[in-house]
Amino acid sequence: MKAIASITLVALLAGLAGCSTYVTKEEFAPKMYTEQPASILVLPAINKTTAAEAKAYYLTTVAEPLANMGYYVFPIEVVVDLLQQEGLSDAETMQAVPLQKFKDYFGADAVLYVTLTNWDTQYLVLSGSVKVKTECTLKSTRTGEELWYYNKEVSVSTEGSSYGQSGLAGLIAKVVTTAVNTASQDYVPLARQVSEQIFATMPYGKYHKDFGKDRTAKIEKKEKVENKKN
Amino acid sequence: MKKLLMTSLAVVLLVGCAPTNNMYYWGNYSVSLYDFKKDEDEKTLQAHRDQLLIIMKESASQNKRVPPGVNAEYGYYLLKEGKEAEGLEYFDKEMALYPECHVLLEKLKSEYARGKK
Repeated sequence: MKAIASITLVALLAGLAGCSTYVTKEEFAPKMYTEQPASILVLPAINKTTAAEAKAYYLTTVAEPLANMGYYVFPIEVVVDLLQQEGLSDAETMQAVPLQKFKDYFGADAVLYVTLTNWDTQYLVLSGSVKVKTECTLKSTRTGEELWYYNKEVSVSTEGSSYGQSGLAGLIAKVVTTAVNTASQDYVPLARQVSEQIFATMPYGKYHKDFGKDRTAKIEKKEKVENKKN
Repeated sequence: MKKLLMTSLAVVLLVGCAPTNNMYYWGNYSVSLYDFKKDEDEKTLQAHRDQLLIIMKESASQNKRVPPGVNAEYGYYLLKEGKEAEGLEYFDKEMALYPECHVLLEKLKSEYARGKK
């Protein structure tokens, strides 16, 4: 009786605390695999954060990670300029354009809509970090349906990041990296890493060597569940 | 300290440039683009355009496709400063690599050919 009670308690706590479950890429975004969009048009993000610079960090760092996933990404500077010539001056109006227009004029298979809700930077002695919360959705221009989404918070920091150096060299690298990174333009690498993490949950696109081979790849799906019996 | 900083910086930059994905060479694309968007002037635009050229050259020497959008973006800047023939050549390069951009770039090509823009 006691054992059952404690197991139940643990399960409840785990449920309340937010247990990490894993789903496959295909389970998470099945329509990506049935539709297989090859090209993605990225629009400026709606910025609901207190950081005005978050918009620019997003827009200037998003293309690289997305293209690295194997998608054709339309040149964002060109897209924005063309939309501005049509009288659309901000992210809100651009994101309100009917999907069909992106299909007809640009020939895009899908459009990426992003709203930035949190952008927190932190500078400590040996590290700099960025905590970003976004609402991302990828919509098909063919069906209008949502193919993929992402709405979790992402944290990246310069400490123990992909630089992977150890010992004194690592320490020096971290100090310098941090010093370099806190100059205003050097949140760029961190912003790029944020996008990398976000797009890692997307299936590979046609230009990726592992295109079509990642249906069963597992991605973490952190769920905050209340009163879930596990 | 400055010397240490500079050498470490070199080390960090080298390591920092280590790609997590080998498909494309991006160089400092995001950095130069961010600088340009932050202070939109001739100097930052030129620096970004130079970076695009570096990406194209390095991609060729590494036998990699130029990343999506880079040729087209470079061509577009040329178009905007009136160098249409040269700009459209870069559109052709983009189209040769990525059929996904044909709808847009053919459209822009014909608009410029008609002298509309």
